[in-house]
Amino acid sequence: MDAAPVVLEMKGVTKTFGPVTANDDISLTLKRGEILGLLGENGAGKSTLMKILYGLYSPDKGSISIEGEEVRIKDPKDAVSRGVGMVHQHFTLIPRLTVAENIVLGAEPTKGGRVDMAKAMKDTEELCERYGLRVDPRSRVADLSVGVRQRVEILKALYRNARILVLDEPTAVLTPQETEDLFSVLKELVGDGLSIILITHKLGELRGVSDNITIIRDGKVVATVKTSETDEGELAKLMVGREVLLRVSKEESEIGGVRLSATDLVVKGSAGSVAVHGVSLEVKAGEILGIAGVDGNGQTELAEALAGTRPVESGVVLLDGGDVTKVGANGRQGRGLAYVPEDRGSKGLVQDFSLSENNALKTYEKAPFSSRFGWIFPKAMRRSAAENLRAYDVRPPDPDARAGSLSGGNQQKAVLARELSGDPGVIVASQPTRGVDVGAIEFIHGQLLKQRAEGKAILLISLELEEVRSLSDRVIVLYNGRISGEVGPDATDEQLGLLMAGRGMDEEA
Amino acid sequence: MSEESREPRDEGGSAFGKFLRGVGGALVFPLIAIFIAFVIGALLVLASGNNPVAAYISLVQGAVGDPTAIGRTLLNATPLVFTGLAVAVAFRAGLFNIGGEGQVFIGAITAAWLAVSVGFLGLAAIPIVLLACVLTGFMWGAIPGFLKARFGAHEVITTIMLNFIAINLATYFALGPLRSEGIVPGTETIEAATRIPAIGLGLGRVNYGLAVALLAALVIYLLLWRTKLGFRIRAVGLSPGAANYAGMRIGTNTVLALAIGGAMAGLGGGVEVLGVYGKMSIPFVSNLGFNGIGVALLGRNHPVGVVLGALLFGGLASGAQEMQFATDVPLDLSDVLLAVILLLVTATKLVELIIGKRARALASGTRLDEGLGNQ
Repeated sequence: MDAAPVVLEMKGVTKTFGPVTANDDISLTLKRGEILGLLGENGAGKSTLMKILYGLYSPDKGSISIEGEEVRIKDPKDAVSRGVGMVHQHFTLIPRLTVAENIVLGAEPTKGGRVDMAKAMKDTEELCERYGLRVDPRSRVADLSVGVRQRVEILKALYRNARILVLDEPTAVLTPQETEDLFSVLKELVGDGLSIILITHKLGELRGVSDNITIIRDGKVVATVKTSETDEGELAKLMVGREVLLRVSKEESEIGGVRLSATDLVVKGSAGSVAVHGVSLEVKAGEILGIAGVDGNGQTELAEALAGTRPVESGVVLLDGGDVTKVGANGRQGRGLAYVPEDRGSKGLVQDFSLSENNALKTYEKAPFSSRFGWIFPKAMRRSAAENLRAYDVRPPDPDARAGSLSGGNQQKAVLARELSGDPGVIVASQPTRGVDVGAIEFIHGQLLKQRAEGKAILLISLELEEVRSLSDRVIVLYNGRISGEVGPDATDEQLGLLMAGRGMDEEA
Repeated sequence: MSEESREPRDEGGSAFGKFLRGVGGALVFPLIAIFIAFVIGALLVLASGNNPVAAYISLVQGAVGDPTAIGRTLLNATPLVFTGLAVAVAFRAGLFNIGGEGQVFIGAITAAWLAVSVGFLGLAAIPIVLLACVLTGFMWGAIPGFLKARFGAHEVITTIMLNFIAINLATYFALGPLRSEGIVPGTETIEAATRIPAIGLGLGRVNYGLAVALLAALVIYLLLWRTKLGFRIRAVGLSPGAANYAGMRIGTNTVLALAIGGAMAGLGGGVEVLGVYGKMSIPFVSNLGFNGIGVALLGRNHPVGVVLGALLFGGLASGAQEMQFATDVPLDLSDVLLAVILLLVTATKLVELIIGKRARALASGTRLDEGLGNQ
């Protein structure tokens, strides 16, 4: 393996954005037939590095060599022509078109000036056969599952003769089984002479698939290790820079009565189709009910319906025994419901508001922030914000700082500070640690467990199985807007994976 | 001094420093834009075979050279404060109010009709009439707000359409039911006792409408930054998603923001009729509403900025008259200057090219797409 020729070498790549150094003297090498894991926390600089490779950014310093030849990559088109293919986290497929149409889009085979669809079909079929990827070129992308769509993305890159394939967080949208499938595809591809860079922030994932792992922290390469000679503990330490508790230690808590319940909840998604089909659940005092599932299976709509920011088609929501189905977000909050939305960027915070205004976003109508006559008191807002920001370790703890200027972790802590400071009885937390650094994750988990110990009822929605399992007392799996099953926190990947793919143990829903 | 410098972290001092930095930051960018515009203007004057130095001297003299010039500038600026506010309030809610023009006409016809009807009250009629203008402007502005909140009709389209309706409606009343016997087509002339009195001080026709304009700017400032309603409007404008999440009603705030904008422009129309013209003659003053868009952009949608922007617009307009009189440079140069200034203030990328990236951060508040992107 070590004798294989180097296909990509990045040397001393540096990229700064204003005062921020996103990539600081980063070097890495990729050999033919190698799968290289690129591991780092959110914001460590992985994506920036890959965007440089794909020609979306130009580096301030450093060089890139492909197949031994030093290159300057001007734009993505240039990157593609040099054999670099990229599979983005968010797919770039057109749902209305067929697989073949999507694959040839922008590089269509032509015959006499017209698109030669027959050849496109044939090419696609050949491609699928050669790499053993089972996809029907004639089916419409809209009808395909996420896992298959991702395969189409890979085929798209292969059609353009990619020799170096970069996958950006490819498993974020997949069930554990689909992830397995993807990895076996990747192994076939490298067997065929391709080289792959796999970007991830999940530690466990790289084992059994990558040959080497390059770890990036704060824009610098901290180490490159052989996958076979390392373990998760070491990787976590390299990634974060200190010892990390991988599993949260959870104490027994006293479980009380039901505080939040939903019965036969039907909720429509933003596109108008039904996203939640008759979900019933109960969250008791002192417990964390985890909701697992692949992204887009109704979690967002369920959370919003419970929090009151999305109308319910039918069904009943009870908060501490009272019917709040027709009560808005404001009213539910007044009755002790806190809601941490999954999207702090466009929901949890007004990015261009100061932290003090954000801190009062839900309570600005109450004393001491405002008077009966409609006036608000910025000074009171600032004082209360300063207190909250300190208590929840938001950095900087400056009430006048613009929310958008904070890092993801600190933004999330600011949301948490606002939501939890009002001493709520029920907490709906939707992906509370999405895009947050490990330090902040530990803090947020700690806060949730503290609330649980205080007898709050917590509904935790997360795409990270590990998070759901380590925090929850019970786990419900959502598939296509229905509950496909309930398991304990000790459920295996396989059990959860089957439920996440809709193959429930009991299809009573 | 030495005592203060020993405690530079004193709370009041740092807050004041922050304030100064904020003001400085807000002003730097428009000032650079104005400077570049004048350089470009000078080149144009030069190209047309005139002396730019002489042209600019007469321009400045015509704007602020003597009390009469200052009076002209202030008189020009007064209605633009109102129409600028009309755009700025809506913009703070993420809405683009192109309807200022029509709203001015609605306020003007309201004033022209009511001031004659309640003229017997004398001076006491003025606040009543102006309040009525606020009310009709408010209702007229609420229409596009309602159409947007209820049916999703884009406010840019509806406010433009409503301009035509408002202008023709006002014209119909002025030439129809309310027409006077006089030679000039339009409504009856309002009694002198019911007009907004002039300030005097050698400032020509400048009247207390200017005070009303400054008061309106103060009211809008307090509304936006010191009231619950303002908090909601700004939250809705900056992030509809977060506002909805926090339980604020997007639709209600959309209607209110556009309606308050309409009220401002309506008040502006009323002040013009009561303070300057004494009647609504046809054709009525035009482009106040549209120039208000430029004023708001230049003023970064802040009430203080709107006042300053209106002064610049007013000053350029009155200065250009003097310039045309004194030199061979045509009046239109002031339009060119305004156009270039607005172009530079809105096209931040262009200025970035000219003066570098550091200054661009200062301009982040002026980009149009910030308001329009959230629709």
